[in-house]
Amino acid sequence: MASAIVVGPTTEGGGTRPVGPGRRHSPFHRARRRMFVPFVYPALAVYMLIMVAPTLFTLWLSLNRWAGAGPMQWAGLHNYTAMFRDPVFRTSFVNTFWIVVGVGAAVFAIAFGMTILLQDMAGRRFARAVVFFPSLVPGIAISIMWGYLFNPDGLVNTLLADVGVHSHPEWLAQDNMFKVILIGMTWLSSGVYTVIFMAAVDRIPPELYQAAEIEGASAFQRFRYVTFPLMKDVVSVCSVLWCVGALKTFEFLLVFSAESGALPPTNIWNFAMYSYAEAFNPDGTADYGIAAACGVIVLLLTGLLMFLARRVLRRDADTY
Amino acid sequence: MTKIKRHRGWGHLVTVPVAWAIVAVNVLMIVWIVLSSLKSTREMALHPWSWPKHFIWSNYRTAWVSAQFGAGVGNSLLLIIGSGLACILLAAPAAYALSRFRMRSSGLHTALFVLGLGIPAQTMFIPLYVAFDRIGLVDSVWGLMLIYTGAGIPYALFLLTAFFRSLPVELEEAAALDGAGPGYTFWRIMLPLARSGLITIFVLQAIGHWGETFFALVMLHTKTTLSLSLYNFTQTMQYTGSRYSVLFAGLVILIAPLLVLYIVLGRRIIEGISAGYSK
Repeated sequence: MASAIVVGPTTEGGGTRPVGPGRRHSPFHRARRRMFVPFVYPALAVYMLIMVAPTLFTLWLSLNRWAGAGPMQWAGLHNYTAMFRDPVFRTSFVNTFWIVVGVGAAVFAIAFGMTILLQDMAGRRFARAVVFFPSLVPGIAISIMWGYLFNPDGLVNTLLADVGVHSHPEWLAQDNMFKVILIGMTWLSSGVYTVIFMAAVDRIPPELYQAAEIEGASAFQRFRYVTFPLMKDVVSVCSVLWCVGALKTFEFLLVFSAESGALPPTNIWNFAMYSYAEAFNPDGTADYGIAAACGVIVLLLTGLLMFLARRVLRRDADTY
Repeated sequence: MTKIKRHRGWGHLVTVPVAWAIVAVNVLMIVWIVLSSLKSTREMALHPWSWPKHFIWSNYRTAWVSAQFGAGVGNSLLLIIGSGLACILLAAPAAYALSRFRMRSSGLHTALFVLGLGIPAQTMFIPLYVAFDRIGLVDSVWGLMLIYTGAGIPYALFLLTAFFRSLPVELEEAAALDGAGPGYTFWRIMLPLARSGLITIFVLQAIGHWGETFFALVMLHTKTTLSLSLYNFTQTMQYTGSRYSVLFAGLVILIAPLLVLYIVLGRRIIEGISAGYSK
């Protein structure tokens, strides 16, 4: 019954009728006004307590020197300058960049590719469901499996030996480990975006394709001039959410630690790992100020990337 | 779904096999994990693709008991159910009021909540740890549950606001004419109507928190969750030698519930996640 009503024009405005002075002061509205606080503020209180207040405190903490106990010592921007001088932080910066931009580009390219591949394939529902599943699996499980696959006597080397390739690189050696991780993350994340892009493609009216067909457009041209422009909004939101998620990558790196109880080698650290290590490294002293400063950098970058991604894609959409 | 009729060029001879190859790799991966969990570690390495000679079910017993996966499963279940319910109980009334009460401040409040989608765990964890340490919530499943609840609110609110907006306004008006107050209208009429949206959000949060590692690692020391059990086991392997078969049994314990949930609720999960992205 309800769904029959939803299909009316009311859906569009979300039931927002013109609010005249009379409506605003009706008893109906007054009763709701009284309930606004009891409805909204419990959620708001928990949210402020768990997310907003700690974030504000982290901003303050990043300007101080503190080991978690004892008095805080004002440090101004010292934490930030010390951090940028730290070579480990700079490595973390580069690695974070590779994860956000490098893996991001690969994930979006693969997702677009899969979208085209699956567009009118028989059995696409099943294919879509299968491709999507890895992204539901916790990152830590995927990375454990990934680490095993690339072990010296793991599956990858066994497979290579089966086809006669015996001279393979040492996948998990210092220099290669991070590349192996990047590939694993690409595989882990591609499914979600494939599914979202496919959903976006499904919403495109088929008449547009028929028109393109009549004009003699090739498969690539159909993608370039019909599919892609109409997916701009979705791609924009996706790139924002990708950046937000990718900046926080943690589990996937954590598992690749060389020795027990220790963190992974510093050459695969990213911001999240750096921040965690500054606060909780088992073989170092806690420096909450620097850990907080690194957290602030992640926050600022998240904000900046969200802003840029929306901006760039919006401008493109306008010129189209 | 309208099917687009189209000439199939030679391109399809390439693309269709590629697409199915990718699908096949994903399926084989799952099969391989399950088979590996029933072999010995030696057999895993030597005959990765063969059917297990004997099914070594004791891998699972070892994982469940001595590798603490059992305790991890218990805590993880408690965490996802508790935080999922608490999060919905908090977010649903808020989302309803923000999407339907037409207050001047609704927009501002909604924006404040949505801002939380962009707050990374890295800017929250130190103050949370310090504060929870002082009130005795470090190494407590309840403390971690509180964090999961709070961190889930922006996303739940974001999805539920859109959901409530799509419900018909006539029902509320009819209820008001019958003398129902906003509280009654919400709990007795709107919330039941939103049931499918609530289930979707509960499932999505549950999936997200089932293997959460960062906050679990920060907040818990002696207690364990499923992801921490996995992590700790990989760490101890460096002393006790490789026991990958037990580790893979742990992976199956982690993945199997997700797979079952996915087979039962797949469409809902996929649509819920895509809805979050296309808004």
